[in-house]
Amino acid sequence: MSKSQAGWRDSNWYVGFSRFWHEYRKHRLGILGIGILGLFVGMAIFAPFIATEDPTPTTTIAPKFLAPIWLSVFDQSGVVTDDYLPDLYLENAPIIGTNGTSDEFSGIHVPTSDLSNQSYVNLTWSHTAGTPLDFRDHHTELQSEDPLPDYNDWVYFETNFTWPFNSNPNAVNMSISYSTTLSGDFAPGGFPNNNLMFRLYVWIIDPSGNWMQVFEDRESTYSELTREIPISMTYQKLSSIFGGMIEVNGTQEDPTDLVRVRVGLAPTFRFESYGGDIPWANYTGGVTFTVTKLKLFASGDYFGLMGTTNQGADAFAQLIYGSRISLIIGVLATGIATFVGVVVGLVAGYFGGKTDEVLMRIVDFLLVIPGLPLMMVLAVFLGASTENIIIVIAILGWTGTSRLIRSQVLAEKNKAYVESARAIGASDTYIMFKHILPNVTPILFANITLGVVGAILSEAGLSFLGLTDPEEPSWGRMLADASGGGAFIRGAWWVVLFPGLMITLLSLSFTFVGHTLDQVLNPRLRER
Amino acid sequence: MGLREYIIRRSIYMVLLIIAVVCFNFFLFRLPTFLFGANPISLMISDELRRNLTQDLLEQMYANFGLVPDPDIFDWIYMFWRYIVSMFTGNFGVSFLTQRPVITAIVERLPNTLLLMGSSSMVAILLGIWTGVKVAADPGSKKDVGAVTVALFIYALPVFWFGMMLLLAFGFMLPAWTESVWGVRIGFPQYGTISYDVWEIARTSPYGALMVAGDVLHHLFLPMITLGIGGYGGYFLYMRNNLIDVMTEDYILTARAKGLDENQVLYKHGLKNAMLPMVTIIAMTFGFLINGATLTETVFSWRGLGRFIFSSLLLMDFPVIQAIFMIIAITAVLANFVADLLYGVLDPRIKYG
Repeated sequence: MSKSQAGWRDSNWYVGFSRFWHEYRKHRLGILGIGILGLFVGMAIFAPFIATEDPTPTTTIAPKFLAPIWLSVFDQSGVVTDDYLPDLYLENAPIIGTNGTSDEFSGIHVPTSDLSNQSYVNLTWSHTAGTPLDFRDHHTELQSEDPLPDYNDWVYFETNFTWPFNSNPNAVNMSISYSTTLSGDFAPGGFPNNNLMFRLYVWIIDPSGNWMQVFEDRESTYSELTREIPISMTYQKLSSIFGGMIEVNGTQEDPTDLVRVRVGLAPTFRFESYGGDIPWANYTGGVTFTVTKLKLFASGDYFGLMGTTNQGADAFAQLIYGSRISLIIGVLATGIATFVGVVVGLVAGYFGGKTDEVLMRIVDFLLVIPGLPLMMVLAVFLGASTENIIIVIAILGWTGTSRLIRSQVLAEKNKAYVESARAIGASDTYIMFKHILPNVTPILFANITLGVVGAILSEAGLSFLGLTDPEEPSWGRMLADASGGGAFIRGAWWVVLFPGLMITLLSLSFTFVGHTLDQVLNPRLRER
Repeated sequence: MGLREYIIRRSIYMVLLIIAVVCFNFFLFRLPTFLFGANPISLMISDELRRNLTQDLLEQMYANFGLVPDPDIFDWIYMFWRYIVSMFTGNFGVSFLTQRPVITAIVERLPNTLLLMGSSSMVAILLGIWTGVKVAADPGSKKDVGAVTVALFIYALPVFWFGMMLLLAFGFMLPAWTESVWGVRIGFPQYGTISYDVWEIARTSPYGALMVAGDVLHHLFLPMITLGIGGYGGYFLYMRNNLIDVMTEDYILTARAKGLDENQVLYKHGLKNAMLPMVTIIAMTFGFLINGATLTETVFSWRGLGRFIFSSLLLMDFPVIQAIFMIIAITAVLANFVADLLYGVLDPRIKYG
């Protein structure tokens, strides 16, 4: 700004933002503080895009206290806990095929579209009475050994995943969601037990081509409602599927690491003859299995970017979402406290006398009441919600500000500009807020940023004691969960280190900014 | 107005402040009753027990705690009066939970808290003054900038988390590591103020007192370091800024002009003056000692007053918290008063008025 245009406002050098910035950016700590703060604000705003898992501390998605995946670098046999079928909701077309020569079988993939909000795969078998199918009749001898269905004619879809680890998963949590539509003679009310004639199968085919039947649906459970059916996997099944991929002395039994998962629809042996009847010759009807979800969740020792908490929730999501609560409480509590403190300080300093006496005695009173215990008592009495925590922190936060403002106002109020404002008939309120306040503002900025640090640390402490909303992801609560849930015994240092590091970094960024503002704006420090 | 008059005025003001605290306490801890109509007795006994109690016994229970069932406004006045009287006669009541006098429970935990807070404050203050002086001799140097950055870092540090990290490293990981390497667990205790087995052995051993002292120190070390480091940043910054301020005064220039060497200027002229505000801060610190440190005590399961407040609060044991609040506030008021007087005694330039 050029000298000729400088009005009275510009004589307050801090009013010009560019001059302020010119001064501010000389301080490396201040720049660093703004940088870190920017990161945290971005994290709070874009939390849903950064962390995809559910951040609620009570949602279990994996076993508890799993290590972050980057620690598996040091562990040759470490298995990462994850959903291994990437296309959980079958949004992309899988391989669909039919076995045998019959043309009664068909499969179709329907992606999400304007008409349906869900993608799915339909496996359909429609039978016309009298059409023969390729019956295998292996049933008598090899019932439990043979994983394939009783007929060579069937329809399937197939997805696959790679298993890059040299170890079996600890457990596999598999499930399939489907609904069944029956028509013709297969529909309810047709022949007796007509729904025993077909089955839905799930096979896992290991890289060597060995088939393992993991699921065969139980009869009479067909429903047009979609149900999620869990598929249990025994230890033996897991080792026979994954065992071939363990590398011993640089070689492994299986040629590749590609595991295929095949879901098929086939008739059962009963279709050949049942209760004195010959269903294949007499039945006409159709069945459609609509598969909407296929899940294979393998758990090992590692999960996600930051591991899991004591409740088996994703720690990374909580770390990201935790920035929201810290920033909100820090900024709002300090905002309220500063507002109250400024008003009280202005009024006390400006009017003096009895008003000053009363207000300052209240401040003295609040200063001798133990701070954290009072916050705890109020938090317990008012209830654990974010608004209450903000209020509780703000109740105790304004005293310092009001003292600071009051001392500044005492120095300002006898200056000539106040007197001249009064001489031209300005009201007290006008003088306080329009004339005195701008002159005491610079010293307030550092006070505000340092107040935010106090509020963030108070929130962390209160949530560490479990006095905040248990559903709300917060760093303090993560620490409380870790120490209460046995992270020390389990040596799960990552659930202790990172939440505290987040608190420290966030409050550190405010501290750096506040310190720098103090250096730049506080005239007492500036003169040196 | 002379010193005498000032002391009298401050004393009256102090008494008023204490009365205010006492009244505030009464209303604060009856807030659940005002807000939700919750009754401490009903929290304490189950409905079944209440049904089986005779009316006399029930009334006796209420009377024991200075309560009235279903109070109206006159009962409230009566309860308030009883409360005021008992507070000023030093009768803090009995715990809802253990039925023991509150003051006994507090006195049991007081030494632990004073030990922890006292030792950690000493660490923080001595370290703060020492490094503060070292750095203030040459403000703006690399050493100074580094030390200030560290102090700011500590200011931003959640102290209880720092304690958790220490506990994890030296209470859990270090013993596990030494056990795997040498077959013995060497490290710091994981919780508590004293080990039970040490206490048992010490009772019959002629060197029992030494063993107990050693074990308590062993338990004390980590929380003391935690709180010591946590408090250090503030003292350091205060000392440094004060001393840098003082070093710009005219009398320092005079001292230098007289030809004194820089060390003498710093310690004889600078430090003495910079210590004045420091003394009041230290006096205040000691006033707040019995506050305890709820968070750090919780992390280390230290049996002190800070954790006692919290555990009593969770159990809705109001007489306990009420009494601790009282004691803390009164100590704080007294410490303020002493700090003010001390400042006047140490600095003859102060005029009361």
